[in-house]
Amino acid sequence: MQKQRHIGRAQARAWRRGLPLIAPLGTILFLLALWQLIASLELISPILLPPPAAVASAFWKALADGSLLKHATTTLQEMLVGLGIGLGFGLALGYAIAKAPLLESLLSPLIVAFQSTPIVAYAPLLVIWFGTGLTGKIITTAIIVFFPALVNTIAGIRSLQPSLLDLFRSLRASRWQTFRHLELPAALPIILAGLKTSSTLAVIGAVVGEFVSARYGLGALVIAARSRYDTPLVIVSALTMTLLALALYSLVAYIEWRVLAWRRRSST
Amino acid sequence: MFKLLAIVLLCLLPISSAAVAQDEPLDERVLLTFVPNVQFAPFYVGIEAGYFAESGFAVALEHLQEPEVLDLVAVGQANYGIVSGEQVILARSQARNVVYVFEWFQQYPVGLVYNSALDLSDLGNLRDKTIGIPGRFGASYSGLTALLHSAPLTEADIEISEIGFNAPEVFCLGLVDAAVVYINNEPLQIQQLADAGECGDMRTVAVQSVASQVDLVSNGLITSRAHLDNDPAAVQRMVGALTEALRATIDNPAAAYLASLAHVESLPREEPLLEALEAAAAAQSDFLSEMPSRAEVAASRADLADQLHSRFDAQSLAQFNILLNTIELWDADQLGSSDLASWQAMRATLQRMGFLGDTPVELHDAFSNRFIVAAE
Repeated sequence: MQKQRHIGRAQARAWRRGLPLIAPLGTILFLLALWQLIASLELISPILLPPPAAVASAFWKALADGSLLKHATTTLQEMLVGLGIGLGFGLALGYAIAKAPLLESLLSPLIVAFQSTPIVAYAPLLVIWFGTGLTGKIITTAIIVFFPALVNTIAGIRSLQPSLLDLFRSLRASRWQTFRHLELPAALPIILAGLKTSSTLAVIGAVVGEFVSARYGLGALVIAARSRYDTPLVIVSALTMTLLALALYSLVAYIEWRVLAWRRRSST
Repeated sequence: MFKLLAIVLLCLLPISSAAVAQDEPLDERVLLTFVPNVQFAPFYVGIEAGYFAESGFAVALEHLQEPEVLDLVAVGQANYGIVSGEQVILARSQARNVVYVFEWFQQYPVGLVYNSALDLSDLGNLRDKTIGIPGRFGASYSGLTALLHSAPLTEADIEISEIGFNAPEVFCLGLVDAAVVYINNEPLQIQQLADAGECGDMRTVAVQSVASQVDLVSNGLITSRAHLDNDPAAVQRMVGALTEALRATIDNPAAAYLASLAHVESLPREEPLLEALEAAAAAQSDFLSEMPSRAEVAASRADLADQLHSRFDAQSLAQFNILLNTIELWDADQLGSSDLASWQAMRATLQRMGFLGDTPVELHDAFSNRFIVAAE
């Protein structure tokens, strides 16, 4: 009897542990089933919503002929380079603003005004300014990821308790030591939260740039597929964008998990 | 404003109408591409002068991208839309059962714009040149493919640069040697930039139209096969109304511009210009009552352009000039009719682009001239 209870508890524990993995899978399967049902009953015209099988077929075809990989690689390249540039500027300027309130007074109206303008409004201008190659898309991406990085860096650095700064000063810690051993560890959770937001925005920046002008990239693939009335391929392109964003988000989440391991250890 | 409206209505009133009066006008969405623009003047004339109403329609205009226009018509969410001819072939190859019932543009509106100092009138000279196009889709790409084929050249012989819809700026920055544009609109913008000294060393813009090389089916009115079969009388009335509105626009561009003011916010509307157009519209209305020939009407448009150019600057007249240029692409003895040869030429172009796959697209079901109103 006791052994049975023990097995039951073990099973319940295993189920609870597996739930975070099973639940999203269940949601995806439910949505797929719903999609298939809508398609089978033709509640929405297949012209507007093709069945999952047609999308799967378009996916394999695009994968087999290498076109999907080529477009996805281009978008990923724009995302990663743009993310790097946007984060670099966001982190550096965010730190400077956090440490120098005068700089915030000088720059914040400009930054807020720039950020509150939808990226699609000035994406065509970036093509004119930076040409039709990758540069324009990378800059579009950098601009869109810049703001969350900036804001979270400011918030992260300012979240530091003044008493800790006083302690470091009393220990005569250098500026670098203070940054390395106090400010950075303290701000990292908030900065990484911003990085997660930026990583999902990166795909939007790249695709907006590709919508304006591009030969390759998932945005260009959407336009090409749409202009040929290949709705399944449009959905394949959109889902691939989602996958890229998810992959980048998961990577950042993993980095966060590793980098912030000390917090979990200290809390337990 | 009252005076303006009265003049517009008087000038555009149908001389004879095949309209079928109905007690309750039928709400009808007509899907257009692009954005509200003077290039859609026949639709504004159709609404303001009552051609659609007299045919029993309360028309609401909406602007979408071409594929969306076509899909919404194909699934019956709207009965009518305006798309370019190649879209009909492409869509039919993907099981969209739409039918093209009225060729709005009698000439394909796309062409190549370049510095007249370059000798590109011989298309063979395009070899190794950088050509800007919005992207590898749509009428611009079809037009470029047709031009290259007539050269004869292939894409491998030139450098294609996807420049989005920024041709005037990109061209004037010298990033491309030539650009594929809508010839009724963008050459005017580029010439204005050149006149202002903002287009590098270019002084005069030259245009090589696709229509000068090959007759491709152009923009037109589509409906779904289901709507056409269910209510051919409605399609007949819609085509009839559009024919009359188009003819009224061609015959009296000043009145058409005034009718467009209610629909296109960005149109220049300085009082002196509007007064001049009101006077011109009234005079043209009198002139039309004398039943002039098509050539005489065309000459009257040229006279009007000259008169206005002597009084107003290029910026004020830019949109009116676009309307006049577009009228040249619409005008024909027989409005609305498309021929099989132009459809075949377009299909061949799309095949060369690799857009049609192996499945042959039957053209006889893609268009119909049965609703075309015979020219008087």
